Amino acid sequence: MAQHMAQVGKLLIGIWMAGVVVAMFAIVPQYEGLGNAGRIIIMHVPTAWVSVVAFALSALFSGLYLWKRNPVYDDYALAAAEGGFLFTALATVTGMIFSEVVWGVYWNWDPRQTSIFVLLLIYAALFALRSALDDVQRRRQLSAVYSLFAFVTVPFLVFVAPRMAESTLHPNCVFIQGSHCDGITLEVGRLGLLGDRKIELLELERDGDVVTAQVLVSEPGLATETLLRPSFNLATGTMMDRPEFPGVRYQLGLERVDLATNSGLLNIEAPGSGVLANRTTLFTFLASTGAFTALFFWMLHVRATLLGVAWRLAQREGIRL
Amino acid sequence: MSPNTVLEASAALYVALAVALAVWFAVFVYLWRIDAQARELKRALEQQRDQEHIRPAHPKATLTRVNGEAVERENGDAVTR
Repeated sequence: MAQHMAQVGKLLIGIWMAGVVVAMFAIVPQYEGLGNAGRIIIMHVPTAWVSVVAFALSALFSGLYLWKRNPVYDDYALAAAEGGFLFTALATVTGMIFSEVVWGVYWNWDPRQTSIFVLLLIYAALFALRSALDDVQRRRQLSAVYSLFAFVTVPFLVFVAPRMAESTLHPNCVFIQGSHCDGITLEVGRLGLLGDRKIELLELERDGDVVTAQVLVSEPGLATETLLRPSFNLATGTMMDRPEFPGVRYQLGLERVDLATNSGLLNIEAPGSGVLANRTTLFTFLASTGAFTALFFWMLHVRATLLGVAWRLAQREGIRL
Repeated sequence: MSPNTVLEASAALYVALAVALAVWFAVFVYLWRIDAQARELKRALEQQRDQEHIRPAHPKATLTRVNGEAVERENGDAVTR
């Protein structure tokens, strides 16, 4: 009965994921300003989420192995780490495709890209460590300890490091309704990245208490440039004119001005323009997250079973794995 | 935007959809087969292990009675201990 239910569950994962793919391309509306490239969020974010779950599970099974010394836990720890690596690679590749379409470049060492690259290196080192050790007990023990330490870096590399940077291309805040972006402080003549736009502060003009910034904004893909003029009231310390980025609903604001250093804090205002504000997109996104999570658990089970079988066969035949 | 460009853009979207579905179908079939094979291998190994626990695969000696007396034989020859 349980076997039958499991088979039905696996079939459902197949149908569920196919439905998500159809919804991603045919049902989800285009995201304003990003066009069809915005659809990739349906795959990109859930794969990144699953990779965090996978690395957490790898650490959990590693801890269980160190406690119970049951080789099955080591199989699951390795399978989870491999799954995490695969899904991190998928998140990276889908991110690179998005990056190429929107910003015209696959890779530019953005804080988010750099942190994910470091994460991939850390887990690649785990696999290198495993393959370098011949003694099975020693391999299992050391890789379990390594996996625990590797997981300590995951929250930092995935959630903290990219947000510590003053500016990142990764559009966290613009996509999520009600959230606030950090913005970027630029001196006159300097370039920066704000959300998915390259910006250049050309000039700060003062007229009484009002300071107006001339900001050259490059479109995603760097095809065209537009001059926007957000302004700031020095007397009240509030933003005044907030022009919209061409083709999208979010605006460019001048949040702070420092005339001594000739610099200003430029930021994106996103009044409910988040991609997930659309109900269809939100449901597809949640369905995709569920489908990828279920797929990961299926893959985890298959891989761990295969590792267990390989280990038993090697024991029978006297082969060193 | 000309009508042709719109047509091409939507056609490209459906091509991408077809490719993504084909890739998913291939991954699903592959995973399904690997899963079935792994389960079958695990079951066969467990069955074999259980059988080995019940009786040895190759009996080394047999016990027969000759003239009412128990005689242990190994490869057909009587064994003296």
